[in-house]
Amino acid sequence: MDSRDPAETLAMTEQNPEPQASPEAGAGLPRSTISIAGESATTPAKRSREIGNVELQGLNAYYGSNHAVRNVSLGFDSAKVTAIIGPSGCGKSTMVRCINRMHEEIAGARSEGRVLLDGLDLYDPRIDIVAVRRSVGMVFQKPNPFPTMSVIDNVTAGLRLTGASRGELEERGHQALIGAGLWDEVKDRLKGPGVGLSGGQQQRLCIARALAVDPEVLLMDEPCSALDPMATLRIEELIGELKERVTIVIVTHNMQQAARVADTTVFMLDGELVEVGPTDEIFTKPNDDRTEQYVTGKFG
Amino acid sequence: MALETRSQYQEELERLEASGLGGLDLVNSSLDRTLEAIQHQDVELAQLVIADDDRIDGRYLEVHQSLITLLATQSPVATDLRLISALLHVLKNVERMGDQCVNICKMIPLTGNEPPADEEMVKLILTMGRQTRTLISQSKRAFEDRNVEMARDLVRQDDLVDNLNRECFRLALEIGDDPDCREWAMTMLLAARAIERIGDNAVDIGEQVAFVVTGLFREFEDASHPNG
Repeated sequence: MDSRDPAETLAMTEQNPEPQASPEAGAGLPRSTISIAGESATTPAKRSREIGNVELQGLNAYYGSNHAVRNVSLGFDSAKVTAIIGPSGCGKSTMVRCINRMHEEIAGARSEGRVLLDGLDLYDPRIDIVAVRRSVGMVFQKPNPFPTMSVIDNVTAGLRLTGASRGELEERGHQALIGAGLWDEVKDRLKGPGVGLSGGQQQRLCIARALAVDPEVLLMDEPCSALDPMATLRIEELIGELKERVTIVIVTHNMQQAARVADTTVFMLDGELVEVGPTDEIFTKPNDDRTEQYVTGKFG
Repeated sequence: MALETRSQYQEELERLEASGLGGLDLVNSSLDRTLEAIQHQDVELAQLVIADDDRIDGRYLEVHQSLITLLATQSPVATDLRLISALLHVLKNVERMGDQCVNICKMIPLTGNEPPADEEMVKLILTMGRQTRTLISQSKRAFEDRNVEMARDLVRQDDLVDNLNRECFRLALEIGDDPDCREWAMTMLLAARAIERIGDNAVDIGEQVAFVVTGLFREFEDASHPNG
């Protein structure tokens, strides 16, 4: 996007406050997830995994005068898991939040540069921000199911905004729970409260919620840091299963987790992209000295 | 043993490298005694080498176990991981070299108290042994210094040992018809072969040096594809 001042950005968010859907989006199921007149980022009927490629071009992100992400250009391939590692405050979460335009929600925050999803600029003024968030789902550090909602309502919360019928809601809610590997554990308590689940289950519930709207990209910001080892393992297995249908970008402090789940690993330091490469190379023979120092625990 | 900080872990890794490579000093002293035992047909000294091999095996077990503990508790990656992997290999080489000395020393009593030794052949074997000793020391220094150049040079040094080994073979063929002489020569050929194998192990250590530095494992020389 072009550099725009925070006030303008704010005005834009007010036009499309979450979670209200835009009228177009409400017209039917979000099969064609995101488009500008005449262009489309998805092939609605049959999703081949040729879609879901994200490209950052000269991305800069700021919090006021704090320059948090510095001129990062980077691609995230579809059907791949990319892990972002780096010490606290290196800008990895900020960078990821620029992909679904969450960054600009913070007062005083702004970004420059381009974020392309299958060639479509997500910061194009004509783009519907709700559609961006639907195409690029996100899972956070702490599971955050809607506290007053049942298990199934949590999963279909996003879908309901699209005006899907009751039958469709149920069907796709179930599919999302199956996809998130949670179905067997919750099928007898779908009407029970979402917050009644264990931490690991809640996190998978949040993954199911993100999957229900059929995103092309799933951002995961430290998704396992609040979970015990078994629940963590379960999420990691799930990541392996999901990558066939959604591009996954995971921010993690746990380097062994990055080593286990990611095809590609990105190392960031002080807002800059230091090194990106196949995960096994990053953890056996990194090219940059700073990467070496970080992964071997000499700083960070 | 719990290592509380990352710096303790680094110190432990350094200690284990020094201890593992120190096994090569043990091999050198074992080889020295083995050569002396060959030179003087010293059966007692040979027995000592055999008994002392427990020290080399003990070093192997101790360092190996500690490396496994580091792997289990510290999740080493990058250079640390390559170093640990290489050390596990080197330990095996050290242990094999020690065993080759034992193999030679076990043969010494078989040739009798006053064997019909051929002076030229004994000299050749001692020269081989000294050259191999150089290889062992050089492999250790190359590892300590992470010096790939020096590690690669081991191949050239090892060729000298191989040539001497072939020379031994030629001498054995020409040793004459006396059955005792021929038996002695056969035994010495086995000893020469064992020394030659020690040299090969030193070259293997050199390959591990290259792996630690470059992250790539390539055999310096592939015996099954000599021209590949």
